[in-house]
Amino acid sequence: MVSEKDIVEYLKQSLPENLIEINVPRRRRIFARIRYSALRRAIELLKMRYDSLRFITLSVVDHGLDFEYLYHFHIDGIVLTLRSVTSKENNLLESIVDIIPAASFIEREAADLFGIKLINHPEPKPLILTEDWPADQRPLRRPLKGELPPQARSVAEAFISTSCVAPISTFIQRRREAAGLPRSPPMAFTDEKALQEFHGIVKATNLAEKSGFDWEKKQLRYK
Amino acid sequence: MTLEYASFLGCQIPLRLPSIEIASKKVFSKLGLKTVDLMGYSCCPEPVVSRLLDKTAWLATSARNLAIAEELNLNLMTLCNGCYETLVEANEILRNEPEELEKINRILGQFGKQYNGGVEVKHAVEVLYEDIGIKKIRDSIVKPQEMRVALHYGCHMYREPNGEDIMRKPNMMRELAHVTGAEIIDYGLERLCCGYPSMQADEEFSLTQRLLPKLRSIEGSGAEAVLLSCPACTLQFEIGQRSLRPHGHQYGFPCINIMEILALSFGFSPEELYLEMHRSPVMQFAKKMERD
Repeated sequence: MVSEKDIVEYLKQSLPENLIEINVPRRRRIFARIRYSALRRAIELLKMRYDSLRFITLSVVDHGLDFEYLYHFHIDGIVLTLRSVTSKENNLLESIVDIIPAASFIEREAADLFGIKLINHPEPKPLILTEDWPADQRPLRRPLKGELPPQARSVAEAFISTSCVAPISTFIQRRREAAGLPRSPPMAFTDEKALQEFHGIVKATNLAEKSGFDWEKKQLRYK
Repeated sequence: MTLEYASFLGCQIPLRLPSIEIASKKVFSKLGLKTVDLMGYSCCPEPVVSRLLDKTAWLATSARNLAIAEELNLNLMTLCNGCYETLVEANEILRNEPEELEKINRILGQFGKQYNGGVEVKHAVEVLYEDIGIKKIRDSIVKPQEMRVALHYGCHMYREPNGEDIMRKPNMMRELAHVTGAEIIDYGLERLCCGYPSMQADEEFSLTQRLLPKLRSIEGSGAEAVLLSCPACTLQFEIGQRSLRPHGHQYGFPCINIMEILALSFGFSPEELYLEMHRSPVMQFAKKMERD
């Protein structure tokens, strides 16, 4: 008989870098957060280890900026959910049909309802919607947007990228110089080390993630 | 003994209203108050959006600013009401909640910083009133400002660390304004928010339900100018007056900062203070007062 402890220990040992969090909120229920890149590997490992593994279904949640995929499995009376988050800009879901054939229909349904593109699915055609359904009008897909209201977005973007919520314009810098002030106040954005330190602190918290900030582009992922 | 503070300029004053920075430097210098710039500081961070979004980020960023002042072994003085509230509230948490301090120091420690709770945060109004004193300020006045002003203290000015006398700092600001020679005109809506924070959620509400009633009352009171201490409120009054014009509300009050009226009363000219940097007719008004 498989126990919750056995599953938890197995996932911890076999996915040391890619298991973000695992918890057992009550008897016979396990939630595991897995890095998106390791999702298929996790399912392969479970299939190899547990003969009684049965795929229940896949749920998809549109969080606005990200998709969360929840794969629900049954193992000897225990329900295990693997949760994984990926950005909506990615919009690709690698099929697990080669590992779990029963996932075929639900993956196609998810693709229909959320407009997700399936990769390596043996039959990537619509299941619920018609063939000519408009690609930009998916019933359960929300617009790409985060928690910030439109008026607060530029403030958050400026704060995270520059350490300062006011616009830094050459016009005001010239006026400051003309008035005998330093071109800029001694804020973090004027000093590379201080800005790195500030960015480090922001990265060590959830601010950038909650705002939907893209560090490469130095802007929010939505307008 | 020289009175010395680390000066927290914030974002809005140096980058949108530098005339307040200029005036404050002249006022502090005249009064013998030494200020040291806080090198590498960041936004306080601003007290509305960032705190709601992620409290740990808000607290850690604020703690970093406090830690920079602590490294200088100086207390911190702010010119901005919003910065004051953020830094005071963050300081209160960090000083009274050891678990929070430990958590935040674990984050700061990754970047070689630590905060030990050793900094007092004061608004410039408090520093002028408590540390310099009304007498010394009165003695420095060479050009009384005989203007009729409506005071807008700003919501964060009412913030008291212990939740005690919320009128403590507004009364200080009132006395400071009075000592410059200005006539303070009460208009009854002093406590009403100017609407700056709600601009981020509902611009129409902010302008018509917050700023407009204040402007109407100020106009009815006979005041010639609005006297403020907060840069965010100043921007709301100055830009808001312009935004209301296309909707038939014609207001053009000069919006003067408490540091600027003090500097004018200390004898600095409107040109020296670069009052033309305002988005309301502060320069024209100050020059007119000079002529009269």
